[in-house]
Amino acid sequence: MLQAHSLLWHYLWIAPNLLLLLLAATLWRRRIRERLPVFWAFAVLSSLGQLAVYAADVIPTITPATFWKVAWASLVVDGALKFLLIGEIFEQVFGRYGSIARLGKSIIRALGAILILTATLAAALAPQDGRFGIVSGAYMLDQTIYLVECGFLLFIFLFASYFHLSWARPWFGITLGLSISACVHLAAWAILANGGLPDSKRVLFVFLNMATYHACVLIWFFYLLIPHSVSENVVPSARLPEGPNPLAEAAREGDLEVWNRELERLIHP
Amino acid sequence: MNLSMTLAIALVVIAAICLIAILRLAVSRNLQISKQTSLAGQISPIDIEAFRNLANPSEDEFLRQRLPGGEFRRVRRVRLRAMCSYIQVAGRNAAVLIEIGQAALASNNASTVEAASQLVDQALLLRRNAIFALLRIQLALVWPTAGLAAVPVLRGYENLNGSAMLLSRLQNPAAPVRIAARF
Repeated sequence: MLQAHSLLWHYLWIAPNLLLLLLAATLWRRRIRERLPVFWAFAVLSSLGQLAVYAADVIPTITPATFWKVAWASLVVDGALKFLLIGEIFEQVFGRYGSIARLGKSIIRALGAILILTATLAAALAPQDGRFGIVSGAYMLDQTIYLVECGFLLFIFLFASYFHLSWARPWFGITLGLSISACVHLAAWAILANGGLPDSKRVLFVFLNMATYHACVLIWFFYLLIPHSVSENVVPSARLPEGPNPLAEAAREGDLEVWNRELERLIHP
Repeated sequence: MNLSMTLAIALVVIAAICLIAILRLAVSRNLQISKQTSLAGQISPIDIEAFRNLANPSEDEFLRQRLPGGEFRRVRRVRLRAMCSYIQVAGRNAAVLIEIGQAALASNNASTVEAASQLVDQALLLRRNAIFALLRIQLALVWPTAGLAAVPVLRGYENLNGSAMLLSRLQNPAAPVRIAARF
């Protein structure tokens, strides 16, 4: 069962990618694509890339060298799209709050530099396979992408949590799925790239990666397509008194002093 | 154990810590949504005059001139710890106000949305300033004769109080939210 080219192996490789394409088609049909353009592009290109790698694996006429070239191309496109998506998540969660967006950008730049240095160091320390450089290179690239991705996503969660910012449901779901996938893949690729495991054990980590990705695609389905039962931004009593409202006028002028005088007058008439 | 195995274990541990932290934050975020009903009750009013007195550099200067060196450092540390407590409460209040403000952003009333937007911006600024001020206070506790910048937090809190009361008044004229004990 837990072997390469078993029925489960075929299912776990094909099903999440077909589901992701189905999700992209549904987002297109429901006109949600316009609000999530980067995620939509990620869903389409990433799943097509993975299906191309699958085809390269199962078609007998394709040589191992060609397979690894296809895998490399898919990996590079996938990595670029993930970082674009992380940039979009950051913009959606923090972009509208000018008072912290600049601080967040400064921290993320510094964090990016630290993460890339760490990932480069980790890749440099990993064992190199002289005969199959293209294979170990792909493992290294996977490990590097997931390490940087994990760091960025953890920072976004911590930063939003410290400032008690609410997330729009789709962006929360996208970030959660991406984070779970990144953490599990980082652990698995770290073992695959550095552990020196025999092929019989390696395949277990490949199964873990594929199963996790399947679960993450289902998380994206849940958060993007199933409406939530309770509004996340409910105002208990957002009513204004009847007639002209001096406080609303003052709010429009943006003058806190005026607001305070009006409030004091109301509280202590 | 060779170097590559150590590296693999280190990366697995990092990945596990990241996953646990993210899942915890995700779960706590969902819990926050379900308990949003009594947010205003979580605000602890602060005596701004007392805080202003603690943050006043001329008070420190007065104490420095009147007290011997060792005594001044002891008193200064006590004042800094008190200031730290005020700022922590102010930061917690700002967090509650961010949640109240964000909830109000979904209102259909333009005045409420505008007031909520101002409140969220000011509360975010205050929470940002609070973390920097706390870091400065921690440094000052080590080196009590150094000056520190608590004034931006104080000003931010005064502005925040006005915005919170405005939003609260717009939403519920009968029960305004006060985050300052004296204002």
